[in-house]
Amino acid sequence: MTTPQSTTPTATSDQDEPRLSVSGVTLRFGGLVALDDVSFDVHAGELFAIIGPNGAGKTSIFNCLNQVYKPQEGDIRLDGEQVMGKKPAKTAAMGMARTFQNLGLFVRLNVVDNLMLGRHHLMRTGFLAGMLWVGKAKREEIANRRRVEEIIELLELQQHRYQPVGLLPYGIQKRIELGRALAMEPRVLLLDEPVAGMNLEETEDMARYILEIRNELGITQIMVEHDMHLVMDIADRVMAIDFGREIATGSPEEVQNDEKVIEAYLGQET
Amino acid sequence: MRPRRLSSMKTSYAHDLRLFPTAWKRIGLVLLLAVVVLVPLYVKDVFWLNLLVIAGIYAVAAIGLNLLTGYAGQVSLGTAFFIGLGGYTVVWFADPTRWGWPLWGWLPMAALIGALVGAAVGPIALRVRGQYLVIVTLGLVVVGQYLFRNTESVTGGNNATIEATHNLVAIGPVNFADLQLFGFVFKKEAGFVYLAWIVVLITALIAKNLVRTRPGRAIQAIRDRDVAAEVIGVSLVRYKIGAFAVSSAMAAVAGALLASYTRFISVDSLDIFLSIQFLAIIIVGGVGTIYGAVLGAVALQAIPEFINRFSDSLPYVATGTGESGISVASLNSAIFGILIIVFLIFFPHGLAALWERTKAFFQRWPYRT
Repeated sequence: MTTPQSTTPTATSDQDEPRLSVSGVTLRFGGLVALDDVSFDVHAGELFAIIGPNGAGKTSIFNCLNQVYKPQEGDIRLDGEQVMGKKPAKTAAMGMARTFQNLGLFVRLNVVDNLMLGRHHLMRTGFLAGMLWVGKAKREEIANRRRVEEIIELLELQQHRYQPVGLLPYGIQKRIELGRALAMEPRVLLLDEPVAGMNLEETEDMARYILEIRNELGITQIMVEHDMHLVMDIADRVMAIDFGREIATGSPEEVQNDEKVIEAYLGQET
Repeated sequence: MRPRRLSSMKTSYAHDLRLFPTAWKRIGLVLLLAVVVLVPLYVKDVFWLNLLVIAGIYAVAAIGLNLLTGYAGQVSLGTAFFIGLGGYTVVWFADPTRWGWPLWGWLPMAALIGALVGAAVGPIALRVRGQYLVIVTLGLVVVGQYLFRNTESVTGGNNATIEATHNLVAIGPVNFADLQLFGFVFKKEAGFVYLAWIVVLITALIAKNLVRTRPGRAIQAIRDRDVAAEVIGVSLVRYKIGAFAVSSAMAAVAGALLASYTRFISVDSLDIFLSIQFLAIIIVGGVGTIYGAVLGAVALQAIPEFINRFSDSLPYVATGTGESGISVASLNSAIFGILIIVFLIFFPHGLAALWERTKAFFQRWPYRT
């Protein structure tokens, strides 16, 4: 059975079936192998991190998960449901929400509208109903606006509510993007470098929000991140990849001390 | 009793979503309506009435183009084609020698035909974007002119005329071409001022509702970042086509009104220049605002009419055939060109932004920022 609502914290250990199961995913661009037989499982409520040197294929994994890229081989299942072959918009409706490495916000819209767009797939108003502002359309707007306000509160975005996001500082924009992904009521939240380019204070704020999302909302998160301090501090499990291949998976300590990981980052000892 | 609100303090989501949330905005709306109601009562000069009619009709199409270009980010030069489409809908459905439909029949029919043809053209925008889309829609205008010219049995050919009938623009007892209300007898132009501006109000309301609800947000998301829009679940196919359909329907409604007003359609006038005029309207008025399209339509319609009227007293403007100097038509083209350039460089957000700035100045007064 799949649970459509992920906001209810679900028990992590007594479920045999992982929330997200990736097995044998291979992605090629012509002769270039971007991902080679990548497999991993992420359990409900877990904070899973993917690390690796530049160009290792971390973002490619995300692009496969929401089917922006179509991997040639492999199997991706979200609560047992097949993800492979679905359109990106469909994966969003299935509960795959992501943020972008270099921001994918709608810069001319304000914070509320950006977050409301996260709820697009949960709403039904079409062109005709919207244009006529019929009762159903209005009620749907208000109900979703209420939920968006909760997220604005959680991420402390109140003072920016009606500002076009393009005018806001980078750290705030990253937070808005996280908010938009949260507004999607995701089953799995994909965070692509959530603290890239941030200063220490902004990084600490973001870490706090990510932990709040895990602890209070119980949402499963997968994070791609270069900031090793952050990853080792907050991740439950870490997977390291290099040249599109998985080289180690385990607790932060295990991965940190793995020889292959050290080699991938620092080079071979001579 | 609940205290009367004058401030902009909002106390519920329903209040926040209201179109006219403050007393000042409601007062403004009432004043605007009053002007539209009173002008035809007291202005008897056909020049001014005609100006208002044409500006209103153009505003309808401009609101549509602004939805497509300003909100959905799809620059289109196809407006002239859809205006023609609406015009020929009147020729076919309203002409008494053909089907002889009344106003409430042919006006929605024009919207429907515009929407259907717009939806059929929409998929082009899925394959090409930016300047390529501009070129494709340019082609649409050329193909359209050819079709209109050569399907004479449907369109009436090069110069189609619509039979003058008594009830072409009548709804029940209210005939806008021969309006008599409360003892007032209106000129044809005055009646059309009401008709055109009622349609402007309805179109603006529809457009405003669209952009503040789910489908309107979706088309703006596609404008700002299409990949991200798709990843959060916005279907590019549905919303690009939808934006084209709505925009084309509004252009066709404008075309139908125009044809019913002039009772004459010349294929030659449905050219690129007409499309460019609408781009100029939304640029001058303000891309991405509803009332900007209306402001732009009024401003840009006033300019050629004024030149026409006062061409005698303007230097270097030829009024007769024998005179030397620039013709009125060429001067209009030149002015539109210059306006587009000036606004794009100095006021890229158009008249709407100038108004917003003025408003902000007085809201903050006496503080300056």
